[in-house]
Amino acid sequence: MTTSESSWIGKRYSRREDPRLLTGKGQYLADLRVVRDPLVVKFARSSVAHAKIKSIDVSAAARLPGVVLVLTGEDIRERIRPLPTPSTVPLLPGHYPTHWPLAVERVKFHGEPVVAVVATDKYTAEDAIELIQVEYEDLPPITDPEKAMGKESPLVHPEIGTNVMFHAVLTGGMTEPEQTANSARVAAIFEAADVVIKERFYGHRCGVMPLETRGAIASWDPEAGLRVWMSTQRPHIDRLVFSELFDIPQNQVQVSAPRDQGGAFGVKAPVYREPIMVVYLTKLLGRPVQWIETREEHLMAVSQERDQIHEMELAADRDGRIIGLRDRVIADNGDSCEGVFWGFIMPFYGAALVPNAYHIPDCDISITAVATNKSALSPARAFGSLPGRFALDRAIDMLARRVGKDAADVRRMNLITQLPCNIATGVHYDSGNFVGVWDKLVQHIDVPKFRQEQLAARAQGRYIGLGFGVAVHASGVASEALVPMEGQPGYGSATLKMDSSGTVTVFEGDAPQGQGHETTMAQIAAEILGISPDDVAVRVGDTNNTPFASGTFGARGGSYTASAVAMAAMAVRDKIAQVVAHDNKLEADPRNFRFEGKAIWHKDREQPLTTVAEVANRIIMKPLDLPTGVDAGLEHTAFFEAKEPMMAFSAHATIVEVDASSGEFKILRYVSSEDVGRVINPMIVEGQVRGGVVQGLSNAMFEEFIYDENGQQLTSSMENYMLANAADVPNIEVVHSDTPCEHTPLGTRGMGEGVPGPVPGALCNAICDALEPFGIEIRDLPVRPDRVWALLQASSTRSGGAR
Amino acid sequence: MTKEVSVTVNGTVYVRSVPVRLLLVDFIRDVLDLTGTHQGCTYEGVCGACTVQLNGEAVKSCMLLAVQADGQHVKTIEGLAPTGEMHPLQRAFKEHHGLQCGFCTPGMIMNAEEFLRTNPRPSEEEIRHALIGNICRCTGYQGIVAAIAAAAEEMALPGASARQES
Repeated sequence: MTTSESSWIGKRYSRREDPRLLTGKGQYLADLRVVRDPLVVKFARSSVAHAKIKSIDVSAAARLPGVVLVLTGEDIRERIRPLPTPSTVPLLPGHYPTHWPLAVERVKFHGEPVVAVVATDKYTAEDAIELIQVEYEDLPPITDPEKAMGKESPLVHPEIGTNVMFHAVLTGGMTEPEQTANSARVAAIFEAADVVIKERFYGHRCGVMPLETRGAIASWDPEAGLRVWMSTQRPHIDRLVFSELFDIPQNQVQVSAPRDQGGAFGVKAPVYREPIMVVYLTKLLGRPVQWIETREEHLMAVSQERDQIHEMELAADRDGRIIGLRDRVIADNGDSCEGVFWGFIMPFYGAALVPNAYHIPDCDISITAVATNKSALSPARAFGSLPGRFALDRAIDMLARRVGKDAADVRRMNLITQLPCNIATGVHYDSGNFVGVWDKLVQHIDVPKFRQEQLAARAQGRYIGLGFGVAVHASGVASEALVPMEGQPGYGSATLKMDSSGTVTVFEGDAPQGQGHETTMAQIAAEILGISPDDVAVRVGDTNNTPFASGTFGARGGSYTASAVAMAAMAVRDKIAQVVAHDNKLEADPRNFRFEGKAIWHKDREQPLTTVAEVANRIIMKPLDLPTGVDAGLEHTAFFEAKEPMMAFSAHATIVEVDASSGEFKILRYVSSEDVGRVINPMIVEGQVRGGVVQGLSNAMFEEFIYDENGQQLTSSMENYMLANAADVPNIEVVHSDTPCEHTPLGTRGMGEGVPGPVPGALCNAICDALEPFGIEIRDLPVRPDRVWALLQASSTRSGGAR
Repeated sequence: MTKEVSVTVNGTVYVRSVPVRLLLVDFIRDVLDLTGTHQGCTYEGVCGACTVQLNGEAVKSCMLLAVQADGQHVKTIEGLAPTGEMHPLQRAFKEHHGLQCGFCTPGMIMNAEEFLRTNPRPSEEEIRHALIGNICRCTGYQGIVAAIAAAAEEMALPGASARQES
């Protein structure tokens, strides 16, 4: 089978989602009119970080006309099964605190749901919330993870007996004696090393915050069962959980993610409290119930990730070649109550990827996730990796300065060149060409030319700097990794059905949120079947008509789901070829046939043998004289599994100019060099890169969740949880390398997940490079002009002015 | 307390009795069922997803009450291209990948349409500054800025406005 010249894969094909979204016809969750007059549920949330609930008076709220029901934690604790349940727990040795959708006895963070109010409309529900009186008895707020690790600390979950929810040591050893031996070996390497860099870095609490908030609409019919529409990345997982929590057979639970979702970036992957409450209420009341999260609730309860301290040490030789890495990671895990992820899965995964794209033969990394009275960490794009990337890429620049070399040269010297490989933490990297991608980046930037410009600028009193960051990041997650981490499979799945007219529908059980699957999956099916993407409809996110799927996250789309779509299309294509061969009395070798221009061609004939539509009609509607062994129909469900994890690689560079008197800085250029394997649609890839970089910049410069010493969250509005706007960010230049992935049928990789990861390191390295005459080093995020100014002040106090 | 309002939305007069505290965004979405106008922040006018035009001026519909629109003209994304043929801005957003999830898009376009009426040949910097009231979380803004620049160019061509009107 040959691929035609006019191939759909690799085309800048404009998105099929766009016309409806551009004309106001998108159907996001809050736009659905799928149930009649739903009741509305709103949540009264804790106003304090840590307290005993002494009393809750809901009488005035319950009396308000229009209010249907008011429930507290005490009302539901015997009626709703708490988490954890079997399908919400990873197979890792951690603590999984028992929790209900509403606070029971105590509140554990500012923003925890305490009371649910059901009313006929949202205005009434909000009025009722104002009438609820909760009396709290304050408990000491636990806000500092390092103090919370101490034996004297009060506990977030006294029944667990410690605030340490999860601890792991990553040295590549599987058993404790192996770990001990590896740690001793790393200690010896450090003792003998020419150069040791030892620094403490902090990647602050920030996240992804999609523009559409969370939400759920549910209806219950004793015969038909439970129907839930929700803003989610993982409808099939939600279905399992609702079945398990409410003893409804799985085949009577239907969960649908809307066709259009307003972003997610990880935050819509966990099993949270509120949708569970929506399902309970709809069953209890026998009426449809709807919850649409407000932005304030969103910023109080979710979208908070990163928040890791890294005490990092690098051992290197005199040339700057890294020979060992030690890192003590502490993650502020918040209240740790969150189905599937429990806060710590992200920092655990991040710790395993700390060595990044660098060849570091020996490492000793520990990760400790500590409960505090804050919102639980919830997944965010770059999944647990952003602070570690920042720490290592900053440490490498410090190493370069120490050994007197250009940071670009030290980086290249340390990049992994032998692939596949297992890095020292045990993570498998499948394939790629890191050095090639890197070389494209530095050539595009022209480092020697920049260094000349930098010197010339300094001579004029202007400070410009160049910074780099890199990332090896997940291209989907294989079952081998996802089963232990989340207790869930990683395979991709898709069903492809061809109609008797030759048109096709692809069904995928994932739930995209802007990634353009209706376009890219159609391009793949069209390419393989020789039809147009316009002949391919893509249906997503409904558990009733799609094969089981783990959801849209971790760059699974371009890797696992795309591969399953390709395999399903190939199976249908080969079946068609077999029938065409039989009908034309030709040898049934599929390689002799070509599918192109909606027709089927044979290598020895100048004219097509038949059209796709004709043969589809012949097989489906006239299944007479089919070749032996060929059964009826043109439908196929395929599952794609990778034996080992697959990865994508990117390298970033940025050039900044810093005002050394004020600390203000401006990004002059930002370049991303990407290896995403074979590109399905370059326009969509570039969009993912640009959006991801700007998320990273927004995280690094603006966004920050702030809790005061009492655990009061001060950033629950977009007025003070600042996001980058159009005037804050530069254009992003994108350079492609397309090294086909050897482990997927089309050579594609998933690429959206890790993009923000290298951004803070690149940006801070550029600022420090610009200010090299002042010898400043940024160790904490976010980076803002006032912080740079403070570092400059400290530097001038140290040295009595610029060198 | 309710009040009768008469609001012209996308050229159609709607007379409705509404609570005086009803926000314009809820009037548009829930009373008129025009769900192309979105809501992304807690009625604080920061995200811009609810941007519509009031008498031709881009406004955040979460910052206004429905009663304030009484007797006024409102235009939403559904009314931007009444003939069914896409507006040059809509075409340019598609062409330049100015959207991913699309949630911010109607607000972006309603703001940009007014902006281009006041500044038909903007620089890139002017476009970026015009968008500070509209947050996008997916695209990194680059495609949006390119789309607005391209639409400006197309709309400035002779005959462009005539085509729009037809």
